[in-house]
Amino acid sequence: MSRLTSDIINYGKQYLRSKIGMFFAVIFPILLILVFGAIFMGGGDSKITVHVQNLDAGPFGDMFVENMTKAGSFTIVDIPANENITEYIKNKSLTVAVVVPANFSADIVAHMTDPANATGNVSVIVYGDPSKTTYNVVLGASGAITNAMNFGLAHAQPILGVEARQIAQTQKFNYMDFYLPGIIGMTVMTNALFAMTSICAEYRQRTYFKLLATTNLKKWEWLVSKFIFYAALLSLSLVLTYLVGRMAFNMQSVLTPMAFVLIAAGAFTFTSMGMLLGVFIKDPEGAAAVANAVGFPMMFLSGSFFPLEVMPSYLQAIAGALPLTYLNNGLRDTMVYFNDTSALVNLAVVFACGLIFFVLASKFMSWKEK
Amino acid sequence: MDYAFAELIEGAAMPETVVEVRNLKKHYPPNVKAVDDISFEIGAGTIFSMLGPNGAGKTTTVEILEGLRHPTSGKATVLGTDIFDDYSKIRKRVGTLPQNFEPFDLLKPWEAITYWANLYDIKITRKEVDELIESVNLTDRKNLMSKKLSGGEKRKLGIALSLVNNPELLFLDEPTTGLDPKARRDLWNLINIIRDRGTTIFLTTHYLDEAEKLSDDVAIMHKGKIIARGSPDELVDKHGKSTMIVLEGSGKAGLAKLRQMNIEASLDELDGGNVLVPVKRHSEMRGMIARIASSDIAMDDIYTRRETLEDVFLNLIGSKMEDGVLKE
Repeated sequence: MSRLTSDIINYGKQYLRSKIGMFFAVIFPILLILVFGAIFMGGGDSKITVHVQNLDAGPFGDMFVENMTKAGSFTIVDIPANENITEYIKNKSLTVAVVVPANFSADIVAHMTDPANATGNVSVIVYGDPSKTTYNVVLGASGAITNAMNFGLAHAQPILGVEARQIAQTQKFNYMDFYLPGIIGMTVMTNALFAMTSICAEYRQRTYFKLLATTNLKKWEWLVSKFIFYAALLSLSLVLTYLVGRMAFNMQSVLTPMAFVLIAAGAFTFTSMGMLLGVFIKDPEGAAAVANAVGFPMMFLSGSFFPLEVMPSYLQAIAGALPLTYLNNGLRDTMVYFNDTSALVNLAVVFACGLIFFVLASKFMSWKEK
Repeated sequence: MDYAFAELIEGAAMPETVVEVRNLKKHYPPNVKAVDDISFEIGAGTIFSMLGPNGAGKTTTVEILEGLRHPTSGKATVLGTDIFDDYSKIRKRVGTLPQNFEPFDLLKPWEAITYWANLYDIKITRKEVDELIESVNLTDRKNLMSKKLSGGEKRKLGIALSLVNNPELLFLDEPTTGLDPKARRDLWNLINIIRDRGTTIFLTTHYLDEAEKLSDDVAIMHKGKIIARGSPDELVDKHGKSTMIVLEGSGKAGLAKLRQMNIEASLDELDGGNVLVPVKRHSEMRGMIARIASSDIAMDDIYTRRETLEDVFLNLIGSKMEDGVLKE
């Protein structure tokens, strides 16, 4: 058996016998898909609870509350009229509450019958924390309901509207289809990078590098064997995660050959990056610190979980310098948009990064002492 | 491959001198002289021990000779090859057990040996693997994960790995450090067996008894220098005090009587109740014992005491050594 094959097999045996390794390579991405899928697509009652204080004695206040209920996205909880709204919000730690003011109907009638003497707009008041998503959803819904009531009161028909369509129109994609490539990219990065930094520290501390240096195995062979192992393992992880996602959430994205090429390129890049970081690592504690310091920011900045578009421009600039961004983008290009041309560009960037890391790691990693 | 007896690599003659080191230096900035101008040679088929406290420069020397460190200056040949020229020429003829060796936890001994043979480009059969495991007495442990082996068994596995290429020269860097007495004795037996098969062994140790029991040749190293060299007997003869006749319990009265008989004697510093009579030449021993026995000196017992490497080390360094640490 060749040195390379033997190193792959024996490293693989140790990896597969290590329960934690298999957990992070195979079980963890499947768990992520299931958990995120349950959160975003699990069905069931996912209504937002909105506390509403209707102080209006007339019909329009009731009409507003009725329209909110009919919207279907909210569970309405009445706030007694005698409650102080700010105290109520504080005591119940609410992120959003709506108040229909007293004389809401009377003021609307006044605007309709005597607009010359009516002052200001008639408004419902939305209290809450603007940083919270629920506040912005309730604010938007309240605006839409009052707008509809305005058209009704004016006996007018809206002309302009919005029609929602999926970006990829050939298939019926759902949220998880867009999310899956990010999970795969993250899995490739964490497994290859974290494992390699950890291995480098362990091999140095336990004198395995010195032992290897006394054999005929070359540094590049050792690194290539890790790359081949992780490319195979992560491809298996990709297939399993994809199958679970497809069965559980009816995902429509497709496992293309380009996706496997990207996985291989990602494994190459992040094993090489891990080995390069391993040059500076002396012990397992240092390995964990360095891997976390590099891996976690990259995970969050590269569009694995959040769209890059919502990030500030300087963070987008940083994301542009991270190889994981291109791996994620490439996987979305090929699996969701079926755009292998664009995926090829991302693949080239990922591979170029890997080549640079590989050359530097091979040059600076020493199995011997100075 | 026959692991029962070491064989010479085909076409390569075993040199009389397996290792030759001349003026070897390894300095680290700003002013650390880890190895400070040492010269020595190792004869074929011997156990050569480099003995010294932690930090003496033993491991640095070994790693230079293993091709794992670059020296600052000096010359060294291993198996007739200049090691700074191209170590790959002799890589397959040298075995290595590094200091504090730990095996791969999640490989079984037979898997680790097969793996290691492959890394040396050696085709090894399962039968040969079993023979090698048998030679280090791990047969009943060969299917256990290595992490479940005891400390001594792990070192035995390390030695098995170092023998996988059937080396002519075996470097064992502190192979028994941290092991219990029984495991140490087991390894000593194993090391002797390997030497008896014809393999030259370069052993580093800070255990004086280990060096004394195992070695054909000892170099005592201190602060980067070799301060004494020879077989254990030669070192004791050269750097130890005379062999003593001990008169147990004779005390000051016994000392006085010996002096009346014009026999040189002193009280034992460690046990004032004993009287020590130095005998400079071995040929004088029988006569001296007869003279003392014919006197009426009271004593509980009489016996001879020969100095050991421990005494030699104390005489040379001025400190005792425990677990590699010098004690004032």
